[in-house]
Amino acid sequence: MNILEIKNLEVSVKTIDGNVKILRDVNLSIGENEVVGLVGESGCGKTMTARSIMKLLPENTKIDKGEIFLQGEDIVKKDEREMRKIRGGKISMIFQEPSSYLNPVFTVGSQIEEAVKGIRDKRERRERVYKILEEVGLDRSIYFRYPHQLSGGMQQRVMIGMALVNNPSLLIADEPTTALDITTAHMIIELLKKLMNSHRVSILFITHDISLSVYFSHRIAVMYGGKIVEISHSSEIFKNPLHPYTERLIACLPERYRKGEKIKAIEGEVPDFKSLPPGCPFNPRCPYKMKICEEREPEERKVGKSIVRCFKYGNTVEN
Amino acid sequence: MRRYVINRVLQVIPLIFGMTFISFLIIHLPPGDPFSKLQMDPQISRETIQQMRKLFGLDKPVVVQYFYWIKNVFTFNLGTSFSYHVPVSFLIKQKLKNTIALSVFSIFLTWFISIPLGIFAAIKNGKWEEKFLSFIAYIGISIPSFFIAMLIVFFVAKTAILPIGGTTSIFYKSATGFEKFIDYLKHLLIPGISLTLAGIGSLFRLMKNNFLECLNSPYVITAKAKGLSMSKVYYKHTLRNAINPMITIFGYELSGILSGAALVEIVTNWPGMGRLILEAVLSQDFYLVMASLLIGGILLVTGNLIADILIAFADPRVRLR
Repeated sequence: MNILEIKNLEVSVKTIDGNVKILRDVNLSIGENEVVGLVGESGCGKTMTARSIMKLLPENTKIDKGEIFLQGEDIVKKDEREMRKIRGGKISMIFQEPSSYLNPVFTVGSQIEEAVKGIRDKRERRERVYKILEEVGLDRSIYFRYPHQLSGGMQQRVMIGMALVNNPSLLIADEPTTALDITTAHMIIELLKKLMNSHRVSILFITHDISLSVYFSHRIAVMYGGKIVEISHSSEIFKNPLHPYTERLIACLPERYRKGEKIKAIEGEVPDFKSLPPGCPFNPRCPYKMKICEEREPEERKVGKSIVRCFKYGNTVEN
Repeated sequence: MRRYVINRVLQVIPLIFGMTFISFLIIHLPPGDPFSKLQMDPQISRETIQQMRKLFGLDKPVVVQYFYWIKNVFTFNLGTSFSYHVPVSFLIKQKLKNTIALSVFSIFLTWFISIPLGIFAAIKNGKWEEKFLSFIAYIGISIPSFFIAMLIVFFVAKTAILPIGGTTSIFYKSATGFEKFIDYLKHLLIPGISLTLAGIGSLFRLMKNNFLECLNSPYVITAKAKGLSMSKVYYKHTLRNAINPMITIFGYELSGILSGAALVEIVTNWPGMGRLILEAVLSQDFYLVMASLLIGGILLVTGNLIADILIAFADPRVRLR
């Protein structure tokens, strides 16, 4: 059974100009012990997807439609009290900048200990924290340190420890390496890989770095304009990107840069949710634009093992 | 931590010397001295005035006068008032007590009311409770303290529920200790409440904004993502951070003990330092002015010192650098 299954998720934000849809018809599943990468440019809805799964959306944002099944249970229907048990229990989350996501006035140990669920005894709780600190490669003495006394990499390790202390089934990693330098980022990824196996946890790995995602994830979902436009196996996506947007993303990677060339970027701008173009949201930037792309939004379509939303592959709905 | 405290305490000493020296120079800047007025009187001879100047040491350079003054301060002699011809310390003793009682009373009441209200409004941000409180606070900020005092005095005069003016009633001398205390407190209510009402608005707004800012911090999302209850998110993770800037404000509040109440004291006829200082400045009563500046300066410096030490306790980023 899938750990997580998102079906037809729609999220909108209330603004002065009325409701603006920021996630539309999002379908995504994560299997047991699987890493799924969620890739896209800034502002495409990656973080909102993550926050929807936690049901920690900003005040003016809400889920309009759809279901989010966590091990078969729909969490969209759950109330705050039930969600509190799930957060930090079955699902936990790590963030982009550990320095600001840790509370500066408490010791990191006490912040992890606070997250421990189901253990009443004080000494046992403490032991649990020591154990998880060692698992993330930190010394016990770190318990009594404050966040500002630790390096960025150590802070992220603390965050990971805090997230895994209750052995969750799903870890949402929202750009966990973006604020770190390349060596530290690599170490954090290796740590996540190791813990993923020892804790049997599935990971939703959110990043804008498609090559990092290919390295770490089993499958990759590409997001554009609040929709998932392609889901492919990570071994396939470089060789055979289906959606024009994925293709452009890969073509623009700095690794593909040759000296003397102009630095590549996708032409045009990331669309604003308030003024999405009619039809396929990518059509103004798409080199393969057809007439139908401006008229209708493409449905999901199976191509081999992948799923893609593009009229290049026909316009009928399958399955 | 101990080194930090010792360092901060030692910094206070040169600060007080510098502050008193500069204020001593400044109050001697305007032409004339307490005896200038006497020169107009044909009955007093020039020699007498010269002699009096010599007696009070006013014929010496200002810098020398300063050192005489500071030497006396160390023996708790604040000099003699020129207008009242009595020692300054005798003059300010009772008035200082009254002013401190008034200020401490109103500061305590102000904080006691505005901090919880600020937190409440921040939690209810955008809802009618917050809008209502913010509206009231806005009115409170726009009305000056002496006007509020006048309104209260007017109201009390009409209803006669509280004594107006002074610190004691006629029966004070025959009253027992507890009755004396209650009587004093009753007299304190009018100026105390005026000051409190005038101060709540701005402190409420500060607390509300601080709390809101912390509520939008990433670490609050972490706390929620851990599945903590909202009361832990608010009163542990948010409040502990929101209170830090308020500690600094508290330090400044202490420095306002002396002068902050002056207008209200005059309007409600509370026998505090306010009017005394005002008259002393106008009549160039140097030592009386210096005494109040010295006390004010010490309050400012110690207020900040206390705030800095409290912040070091509250914020590990200051404590463990």
